[in-house]
Amino acid sequence: MSAMTPPQAATTSHGPTRHPRSVAFRRAREAEWAKLDALVERALKQGLRTLSADELHELPILYRAVLSSLSVARKTALDRALVDYLDALAARAFLAVYGARRSTRHALRRALFVEFPRRVRGLLPELGLSTALVLLGALVAIALMQIEPGWYDAFVSPALSAGRDPQASTQTLRAALYGGGEMGEGLGFFASFLFTHNLGIGLLCVALGFAGGIPTALLLFQNGLMLGAFLKLYADRGLLFELGGWLLPHGVPEIGAVILCGAAGLHLGRALFLPGRLRVRRALSQAGRRVSMVVVGTIPLFAIAGLIEGIFRQSVTNDMTRYALGVFNLCWFFAWLILAGREARARA
Amino acid sequence: MNELDALEIIGPEGVPLRFPRAPIVDRAMAFSIDLCLLFLLASISAAILVLAGLGSGLLSVAGLGLIFFFVVRHGYFLFFETHWQGATPGKRLLGLKVISRDGGGLSLDAIIARNLMRDMELFIPLVALGNPAQFFGRAPAWLLLPASLWLLVMMLMPILSRERTRLGDLVGGTLVVRVPKAPLLVDEAGRDSLIPAAPGHAAPEFESPQLEIYGEHELETLAELLRKAEQGNASREDLTLVALAIARKVGFFGDAPTREPARFLRRFYRAQRAHLEGKLLMGKRKGSKFDAS
Repeated sequence: MSAMTPPQAATTSHGPTRHPRSVAFRRAREAEWAKLDALVERALKQGLRTLSADELHELPILYRAVLSSLSVARKTALDRALVDYLDALAARAFLAVYGARRSTRHALRRALFVEFPRRVRGLLPELGLSTALVLLGALVAIALMQIEPGWYDAFVSPALSAGRDPQASTQTLRAALYGGGEMGEGLGFFASFLFTHNLGIGLLCVALGFAGGIPTALLLFQNGLMLGAFLKLYADRGLLFELGGWLLPHGVPEIGAVILCGAAGLHLGRALFLPGRLRVRRALSQAGRRVSMVVVGTIPLFAIAGLIEGIFRQSVTNDMTRYALGVFNLCWFFAWLILAGREARARA
Repeated sequence: MNELDALEIIGPEGVPLRFPRAPIVDRAMAFSIDLCLLFLLASISAAILVLAGLGSGLLSVAGLGLIFFFVVRHGYFLFFETHWQGATPGKRLLGLKVISRDGGGLSLDAIIARNLMRDMELFIPLVALGNPAQFFGRAPAWLLLPASLWLLVMMLMPILSRERTRLGDLVGGTLVVRVPKAPLLVDEAGRDSLIPAAPGHAAPEFESPQLEIYGEHELETLAELLRKAEQGNASREDLTLVALAIARKVGFFGDAPTREPARFLRRFYRAQRAHLEGKLLMGKRKGSKFDAS
């Protein structure tokens, strides 16, 4: 409009009657925003449960309306206060709408019987490496002890061996396999100690994966050394069969869980150093989520192993019963990992 | 909100949402509160169980205490972050929340992953610092340097990383944000009471060419001044000064800037914003007076 236009014309065309468009925009929607604001305030402070059915129905609708207001305001409104308000309101509403918790029981069941076995099957290369490390440790221990039995002390700390070393008599070694029954009431304590201690090591195994997986690999190798040393020690005395009965029932879930935790740790290390085509940040967070489901699955494994090691092994001394439980454990362990969660994938 | 401190995620609806980043100090405080609560909870209940177990001679009860301690230690953060919409009591007190970086809901595996790393990044380095001899044991010297360096880097991640996230957030794909809160201020262009002219005087009017000079930056500065004036925090002299400067710049003739500077400024603000928003609809943005229109 030129400066020559008379003032009257200006008054009618774009003078005092003309408001910025954003003023009308705001007036038309302000009540809606305030309504959402109040709902979100309550949802965040007191929980979604305090909202009535109608309000729960309204919440996502109002949230989407505010999102559209926000998009429009960002592009067309020149009122910083308005855009800031909508920004904050939309973000808070997002927290209220998407922060809602889902049923924990359902999530847990799904985590154990669908997610866990699936994630494990997705970790095949790491599982192979993790198993190989344990086996390698065992083989190295056996080979070294073949040459010089004194190596035993390097692999098994005195606290752990508790007298079960190459100097002990065959009688002592045999007794160690069937002893412990006199503990009686202490078994429960022993079981829970084993559970928490082993699970702690498992968690450490995973977390150490962040150090490139090297400490995890060392931990696995060391466990293998220990295993091999025990096997060799008992095999030399002709007690391999008896040791099998002693080891197998709790060994299946326990060593299995350690290998799983080790694979999880190695997976983290791989994401950090060999992220492939992804950016490290993204590779890490994807690996982290996969790995956490594996950890969830190892918790019951460690618990079962603790129970068997702490109670069953101490009170049942019959070799055949021990082997029966060991075979049973092998069956459900592999069935769980290999079969569970498959049909859900087909449906999904 | 400072642009540097804003974290942006894309919600499921595809609209970018902005959250203020949780300051490190706040996070440290929240964590300290949680640690105190955790310690209280764990030690009291575990002590009761262990004492009851020892007193009654039932070792199994003491074993239960052991498990309970373990569950509380590892389950505290898990429980509250899943049940309290991503906030532990400490975070809630300080108005912080955990959100998923990918913009979806906060999933169980993300929460587990972020808490799994806590041992690694905090407790292990602390143990190593507190008792290096026992922690490193018989480790050879060439291993000590990289190991300690690694521990240090992990512990200092919140300071070193660009996004100020800790290791757990990196692995879990999560962010810790402050729950944003901004009041809806009165629209300075929407106040009608002051707009009509005083009796006997025509209200100041502005023509298109006069509105071509300033941009969004000046507009926002003016809005802030008007807001201050409304709260009584700007003197009449200040307003007159600004009003005169604007009048001179845009070529406004008349005594309105000196006679009633507040009304002049408010009318100018409204006209300027209407003008700029009109152009914005046409896709023309003028950031400040230095931008070519």
